Amino acid sequence: MKFRDLVEISGGNLRRMKLRAFLTISGVVIAIAAFVAMLSFGAGMKKNVTEQFDELGLFSTMQVYPERENEANDTLVNPVLNDSIVVLLSQIDGVRLAYPYDDFPVKVQFADTTLSCDAQALPLAAASTRMFSRIETGRSFESDSAFEVIVTSGFLRDAEIEAADSLIGKPLVLSVEVSSVDSALMYVVRESGKETFERIGNLNFDSLKQENFLQRLVSQEATRAMGNFVEGYMNARETIADTLTIVGVLDAARGRSRTEPLLVPVATARKFTSSGFTGDPTKMFSALTSGTLFADSESGNIRDYSRVTLDLDPAAAYQPIKDSVTALGFRSFSYAEEFDEILKAFRHFNMALSAIGLIALLTAALGIVNTMVMSIIERRREIGILKSLGADEREIKLLFLVESGVIGSIGAIVGIIFGWLITRIASLIAQSIMANEGVDAMELFDLPIWLIVTAYLFGLIVSLVAGYYPARRAARVDPVEALRTD
Amino acid sequence: MSNNESLLATVSLSRYFTRGSHTIKAVDRIDLTISAGEFLGIVGSSGSGKSTLLNLLAGLDSPTEGQILFESGSMNSWDRSRLARYRAESVGMVFQSFNLLSYKTAVENVAMALYFSDLPRSLRTAKATAMLERLGLADRLDHRPSDLSGGEQQRVAIARALVKSPKMLFADEPTGNLDQENSTQISELLTELNEEGLTVIMVTHDIELARKSTHRIIRMHYGSIVESHSGETE
Repeated sequence: MKFRDLVEISGGNLRRMKLRAFLTISGVVIAIAAFVAMLSFGAGMKKNVTEQFDELGLFSTMQVYPERENEANDTLVNPVLNDSIVVLLSQIDGVRLAYPYDDFPVKVQFADTTLSCDAQALPLAAASTRMFSRIETGRSFESDSAFEVIVTSGFLRDAEIEAADSLIGKPLVLSVEVSSVDSALMYVVRESGKETFERIGNLNFDSLKQENFLQRLVSQEATRAMGNFVEGYMNARETIADTLTIVGVLDAARGRSRTEPLLVPVATARKFTSSGFTGDPTKMFSALTSGTLFADSESGNIRDYSRVTLDLDPAAAYQPIKDSVTALGFRSFSYAEEFDEILKAFRHFNMALSAIGLIALLTAALGIVNTMVMSIIERRREIGILKSLGADEREIKLLFLVESGVIGSIGAIVGIIFGWLITRIASLIAQSIMANEGVDAMELFDLPIWLIVTAYLFGLIVSLVAGYYPARRAARVDPVEALRTD
Repeated sequence: MSNNESLLATVSLSRYFTRGSHTIKAVDRIDLTISAGEFLGIVGSSGSGKSTLLNLLAGLDSPTEGQILFESGSMNSWDRSRLARYRAESVGMVFQSFNLLSYKTAVENVAMALYFSDLPRSLRTAKATAMLERLGLADRLDHRPSDLSGGEQQRVAIARALVKSPKMLFADEPTGNLDQENSTQISELLTELNEEGLTVIMVTHDIELARKSTHRIIRMHYGSIVESHSGETE
């Protein structure tokens, strides 16, 4: 029996049993439509994340951090990320650029608005990487020493500015309050010098011969001096201000990497940060313990960084770079690794969505079994006639399998179309909600070819599996008995 | 006309059915030889086993014991697929209740018999049309069974049996549902086909019909052949 004949007979039977065929196919349509719509959502989410990662160059970015402190062995001192290390990191094969995450607190005066936020020093080379490529309007820096600033969408939000275009070319006054060891010592001398001389004047010098008194006195004076030093560090701050021109607005809203509200060219930023400590006293104590407190600030070797970003050659192997970083005593993190985890999560997400679709498909399969069994009961005589004309069991089985396959195929094709329509309607609703909420419009659904093929095959295979038992039953119909039925 | 060359034969052929603790001997140790070109009539009362014997000979049923020899080869060793091929190529069957598919036209019902050939669809339809025209149904090609008289339906069934050019035609009570006039027409048609060389094995209640049409009549009773004699056409 030719396959075309089998399909034709099956189609004819379905046409004769229109209502039953319609209801059975509807079950498959609903199941496949649900399957397609759900997996389409999963695929859309995955596509969005992948595109975002790719757009931001996160697949070719690695972050380097100092090792965490080892509590079990506190005698070990972990190496710190400083400019020398940044140079070493940039020399690793496959690393195109290494730049530190160098942030500092600033005060910003823009038009009538004054606000406190953080600025990030950024080398020109880093500003041209994909991570900072989402310049919404304007341009990047002209040079590392340009008196220019790029503001991010975070800054716009904080400053309650809506029109990004209006910012380009506008001046922005950036100021930092710095404390230095000199200013702290000056404070100690200026504020507590008189008091110290008064105490020296009141001192009974004979008492100095007593060792206990001398020790207590030294201890008291040292503690007092340290207190005055810290107070001086905190209070005797000097303000350094300069005017920078806003040259660009960066869309950092969708970035996965932390970006401060202001990006300042690295050499310009150093003018603010090299005059002293811009941060809290803990930074000063950190500098004290690392021995960099009195280092030459102009050499740029006094700053420790919390993170260094590596921009990698996309063709470079990832693992050797990670090994080189580890060998230098640092730990690394890559978005590519994180992406693998995200993919795993998507796989689980898709499996959960598929399970819901498959439950619907299972219900539809029971409908197919029911339809086919009914069909066999009604068509026993036809089976007997076909057998008397020369059909063998294989052909009868194939006839009913093709019939359930036709149900599955029609159901799958219509289901895919319905599923696609559902995603279009849901997408329109979602876009409208996003527009109302002021969120960037994004496509939530994706219907890739693999999903269409998978959905079709699922519909077909489930139908064939559902049709197998009835087909086997049809093949075993005794022609003598069947022909006796009238 | 029979040419005495054995086409189909049975050797101690038996078919038993078990109903609870009872064994019904529908066909019991039958030895029979059917020659090529013979018109054999099988008569007997209801339950005598004549239809069971016909189904065994047509390859629709399998014997409990004994052998069926087709062209001197034993059919016992055939698997289901070979038996199906035997039915497709060598056997044409006509039933009392016609067994036409009500949703198909006359020509579609006839063409169904050629599903198992390698012929293209157009040729199948052409052959079916030619066969119906030959049997006088040229103006009934696109009629469904419900639009045809009993005699016409049986002629469609005969056309379906003949369209694949079988070696044997098995007819199970072919006139059982027909009036006298149609019975006569069908019986004349079967005789005509036999005269053209087709081997016909016909089961019937109608002893007169068997006597007029066949070369040989066997009478069955409780599964056994109790009488065998020549028909009028011998």
